[in-house]
Amino acid sequence: MNSLYIARESMIHRLDPRTKILFVLFIVISSFLFKDPAMQLILLIGMFPLVLLSKLVKQYLMSMQFLMLFVVLIMTIHGIYNPIGETPVFEIFGGLTFKYESLVYASVMSFRILVIGTAAVIFVMTTHPSDLAIALMKWKVPHSIAFMFLSTFQIIPIIAREAKIVMEAQQARCLDVKANIFERVKHLVPLFAPLFIITFVKVHQLSYVLECRAFSRNGVKTSLRETKISSLDYMFISGMLVLLLTELYLSFAQQISLTTSNLLVSSLFAVWAVFFIVIVKFVYKKVSVFIGG
Amino acid sequence: MSNRDAIVVENLTFQYPDTETPVLKNIHFTLKEGEVLGIIGRTGSGKTTLAMCLNRLVPTVIQGNLEGTISVFGQDISQRSVADMADKVGFVFQEPENQLSQMTVEEEIAFGMGNLGISREEMKYRIQETLKQVGLEGFEKRSPLALSGGQQQRLAIASVMAMRPSIMIMDEPTSMLDPRGKNEVYDVLRKIKTYGMTGVIIDHEVERMASYCDKILVLDDGEVIMFGTPKEVFSELTLLHEMEMNAPQVTELADRLRKELQIDVGSPITVEEAVKAFQIVSIK
Ligand SMILES: Nc1ncnc2c1ncn2[C@@H]1O[C@H](COP(=O)(O)OP(=O)(O)OP(=O)(O)O)[C@@H](O)[C@H]1O
Ligand SMILES: [Mg+2]
Repeated sequence: MNSLYIARESMIHRLDPRTKILFVLFIVISSFLFKDPAMQLILLIGMFPLVLLSKLVKQYLMSMQFLMLFVVLIMTIHGIYNPIGETPVFEIFGGLTFKYESLVYASVMSFRILVIGTAAVIFVMTTHPSDLAIALMKWKVPHSIAFMFLSTFQIIPIIAREAKIVMEAQQARCLDVKANIFERVKHLVPLFAPLFIITFVKVHQLSYVLECRAFSRNGVKTSLRETKISSLDYMFISGMLVLLLTELYLSFAQQISLTTSNLLVSSLFAVWAVFFIVIVKFVYKKVSVFIGG
Repeated sequence: MSNRDAIVVENLTFQYPDTETPVLKNIHFTLKEGEVLGIIGRTGSGKTTLAMCLNRLVPTVIQGNLEGTISVFGQDISQRSVADMADKVGFVFQEPENQLSQMTVEEEIAFGMGNLGISREEMKYRIQETLKQVGLEGFEKRSPLALSGGQQQRLAIASVMAMRPSIMIMDEPTSMLDPRGKNEVYDVLRKIKTYGMTGVIIDHEVERMASYCDKILVLDDGEVIMFGTPKEVFSELTLLHEMEMNAPQVTELADRLRKELQIDVGSPITVEEAVKAFQIVSIK
């Protein structure tokens, strides 16, 4: 609960954190290797089995919702207005046309966000923070840097928890944080100052506590949790290597392009549809709260 | 009880960078191994600062200008770091929640041991042992945040105890807790003494301190006003009242009885002592 990690009994959880770091790197490299939206899409879909394996589909989808906002904006605005576009593929009302080149550009960018986002979410949600710290130390990463990684993961939930407390405190002082959206945004301002200060103080205090628990002590460190590289890790890493080589071959030697205007338009619709569902769900939730209470 | 000196503080003066005058002034005291020292004093008198000097949080992590010497078990600590001292001097803070950083109770306890490089088998053994000591058996897999305040504070104590320090310092460990939580924590503190640990505790609960501590140090405005056994310190009522402090209620009562009703029952500091004193008076 102190971090974004969600415990599950799964294959992905059992992988060594180092394998998963390599995996994230592999995905980042792959997504920059391809300038072709179709390949990015394959990459994205190819990762979904991993999400399934990690038994965190719901949590994954929840965290992806947020990225959809960016994706919709990028697809729509770039698709129409990006000046590199020449060939019209799809016209909506008012003479606004989506152009092939712009859509390619926009979808590469959006899918890249989703691809890297997915890898990052898988990594963060399935890697226990202290395993990560130990794994990094096995790579001879200095302890303090390993800890910086760790605390960055840990600080987000701390902030979230404090935000809730500050919000309740402000409400108790008659600040209407549940008013309409503009009022609410305005009311976020008095939230930030105390939030920032509280988080700062907490983290500061935590650093004293950690020191008292011998945190920066030199010498061998041990852990209650066992991490070791298993055959699963080797399989995973070899798989990634093979894929990477294939990708290199495909993108340099072959210059393949699977993208068609149909695919682009369908992705655009798909993105819109997903976003629409997210919005409807959001509104439904708000309305049902409104009616219910 | 041995006669070794656990903590010797000599000429200790400390000043924070942004204060005009020192917050600790020329402090002297000696604590023997196995004794429990209680530090009392009004707010801002420098209790926390003094306690932090003993494990080097002041001045290595919280900076300032420190003069004088502190020895722990005969060794001058002026060149040591906090992490270096962590297996000798344990420190429990005031807020239970801010002291917990791990995902489960057992990992919380293991964290400090891991930094000391203790083997996994030994860790598992000590986790069970300390959980038993603080009465949290069966909570191994719980999230520390899903515990009550009193349980959290006992967990914080367990995490420190698992590192097996010879000296345990506690800065107002019960001030954020309700009466029940306070009792739970004090029950644990009582045990610490039987394990032969040396203790330093800061608290406002003079009744509990009177029965629990071997020595009391009264701090006011950074100076040691009194240092002695609870009996010696709490019989100086006038001095305590001048500093807006009170002796235990029974001591105050005995004093009022003497002054207002001319009944002399001495200066009992615990209820048991008071009962005995009254028995003697009533027989007469
Ligand atoms: N980091 C700091 N920088 C500057 N001054 C400080 C700092 N921490 C404490 N002080 C000051 O030093 C003095 C002693 O503080 P300290 O926290 O030791 O008091 P205390 O006796 O523990 O009080 P309380 O009972 O309220 O906890 C106070 O006047 C305080 O304002
Ligand atoms: Mg204090």
